[in-house]
Amino acid sequence: MLRAHDTSTAAKNKFFEFAGILKDAGVTVSTVEVLDMFEALRHVSPYDKTVFRQTLATTLVKDYTDISVFNRCFEEFFEKKSSQKGFDYEIFIRDALNTSSLEKHPRMGDEAGKELFDAIDAIVDATLQEHPDKAPKDIIKLLLDEADGASGALGQLIFNTRSRSRDGSVGDDTAPSADDAESDFIAELVRERVRRRVFERTTGRNIQKRDEYLLNRYIYRLTQDEIKEMRELIKRFGQKLKNRISLRKKKVKRGGIDVKRTLRKNLQYGGTPFRIYYKDRKIDRPQLVVLCDISGSVSQYSRFMLLLTYTLQSLFSKVRSFAFISNMVEITHLFQEMDPERALNSIFEDTNFTYGWGSNYGHCFTQFIREYSDSLTSKTTVLVLGDGRNNNQDPGLESFIRIKERSRNLFWLNPDRRHLWAWSDSIAELYLPYCNEMKEVRNFLDLSEFIDKLFIGK
Amino acid sequence: MFTNVEHAIQALESQKYICSPEIATTIFLAMKMEKPVLVEGPAGVGKTELGKCIASALNMDLIRLQCYEGLDEAKALYEWEYAKQLLYTQILKDKLSAILECEKSLADAVNRLSGEEDVFFSERFLVPRPILQAITNSRPTVLLIDEIDKSDSEFEAFLLEVLSDFQVSIPEIGTVKADRKPFVLLTSNNAREMSDALKRRCLHLYIDFPSRELEEKIVSLKVPECGADLARELVKAVHKIRELPMKKEPSISETLDWAKALSLLGCEVLKEDVAISTFNFLLKYEKDIELAKKNRKEIFVH
Repeated sequence: MLRAHDTSTAAKNKFFEFAGILKDAGVTVSTVEVLDMFEALRHVSPYDKTVFRQTLATTLVKDYTDISVFNRCFEEFFEKKSSQKGFDYEIFIRDALNTSSLEKHPRMGDEAGKELFDAIDAIVDATLQEHPDKAPKDIIKLLLDEADGASGALGQLIFNTRSRSRDGSVGDDTAPSADDAESDFIAELVRERVRRRVFERTTGRNIQKRDEYLLNRYIYRLTQDEIKEMRELIKRFGQKLKNRISLRKKKVKRGGIDVKRTLRKNLQYGGTPFRIYYKDRKIDRPQLVVLCDISGSVSQYSRFMLLLTYTLQSLFSKVRSFAFISNMVEITHLFQEMDPERALNSIFEDTNFTYGWGSNYGHCFTQFIREYSDSLTSKTTVLVLGDGRNNNQDPGLESFIRIKERSRNLFWLNPDRRHLWAWSDSIAELYLPYCNEMKEVRNFLDLSEFIDKLFIGK
Repeated sequence: MFTNVEHAIQALESQKYICSPEIATTIFLAMKMEKPVLVEGPAGVGKTELGKCIASALNMDLIRLQCYEGLDEAKALYEWEYAKQLLYTQILKDKLSAILECEKSLADAVNRLSGEEDVFFSERFLVPRPILQAITNSRPTVLLIDEIDKSDSEFEAFLLEVLSDFQVSIPEIGTVKADRKPFVLLTSNNAREMSDALKRRCLHLYIDFPSRELEEKIVSLKVPECGADLARELVKAVHKIRELPMKKEPSISETLDWAKALSLLGCEVLKEDVAISTFNFLLKYEKDIELAKKNRKEIFVH
């Protein structure tokens, strides 16, 4: 159980800080949850690390995909700062109480000192919010200048406290030196608060930033290690996307009265319609055909696209996927048999994609129409992922138009920049008029946004 | 009520449920704070079992509500027994007309009749469904709402009143409030995400596959005929298998099945050939079995 001194403001602030870090890292933490945490801490012993950690997790984190983020934050916040041996609550609380010698400063003893402390706290927060990109050093300087020049909020505050203390001690000769001590105290307060706040802000944000950085990074620039890191992120991100989409779909489900069922079910009440039954509106789940170029220049995009598609598989009524370089091969069965990750690896192992040299879009489209046109129906959305670099071979435009005619929508995702679509051996421009949309994709967010859009506006 | 985390672990162990300190902490806190728990995790890690064991460990009644798509308030909260009401009106026809006879105008008759309405909309004609049962039960109760993710989001909205105030509003009668708050456990397999409102009202617990130590303990407790050596080795193998990219990872119940099978075959230690021929207790897909066979060297390192 928390003892009296553990519930002091300083210790409490530590927990608020932690909640703040979680928020910065992208976890939704509401006030109710923070209150629950404090309530829960009263009931358990904080000296048992597992129990302590679970107490925080169970009250603050409500989404299991965020648990890994929580663990990272917990480690960063509670374990790194404690002793070498890992987490020790005793030390943590001692640290919290001693974070600064300020709490022991003689001035902190009286009401006025505390008031000043709180006021400065608020000003520091406001200033940090105003200048989110400034380095801590600059913020400190900015605030201290304000204090000296009696300008801005801080200057005003100091001016006020000074004049008040002078009122109380008229004719006191030691006034100037008291002013000096006061200035030092304020400077110390400001430095301390800024440093602490900046630490709080950055811990959570670094985690969030890392995720954003990966999602926004040009896919072809990802290093091997980053790709590994991406996998977990895609899983988490995909799951969230899936949840969001399925929630959206659930909302529009109910349709009009189902007369047949209502009559039948109410026979037991002598035909009096006590209970009304509604038709479930048919959920329109799109059928998807994905055609992925897996030649060197685009293969990483295709990997992520396929990974995302299969994470979301349950949202589509049917997904068929094909991979090609100069030969089109159906790879749907691979994904049926194993998990997407493994399937992706085995694509390259056992299938033959090459027919002649380099990407050949024309040949592949013609082959697709010839062999797999049964996959196209009026409900099918076709997704082509490729850069359209055809190595100066026959574009097979006629087949491409037939694919378009036989499907509901045809989208093309192109990793190349817009101005390159007709450049050199790229013939993307040639296909462009026959697509519902050709979109430039650079990073993972572009891909996921596109998938998300497939489900809206219908 | 559990007195502390340790007690929770022991009490559940006496019901043959081995739980990690994490699980015990959340359960203990939820009881102390009178909050519902939302339990998530892969299939077969003992989410439902947890609810049952809490009930029996603390000698509480267990009321279980299995969710499915289309589950509505009539099935979960309460329902008017229309057929019984109809039957009663039929039987009481004479009595009714006798009462109504002395009324002169039609309007008076209707007034008279609506004065008697309470008779037909009383608890007599109410069928309490699990949630109402849990709230009105005079004994301590565990309410297990299983697979909440299978229900519709409208139903979820409905649960909110129950979860935060432990009360049910019945328009014709009024609000029924729990004298004794039931302990509510919601389980989910993550088929869809729960709304934020629901999550805010609950503590959250994610149960993953257990650690090796814990799973060994579970095996020796549930399958006592399985020796310590066998238990250790087979759990080790299962953990190796879980690392492989399986279509369906073996859950705890499958580990237990396998342990039973192996001890029935009289194994004292895990022999590779016997283990492989009994893989079908552990793995439910042909592909997974093949994959495990392919990786036999890694699985059966000694």
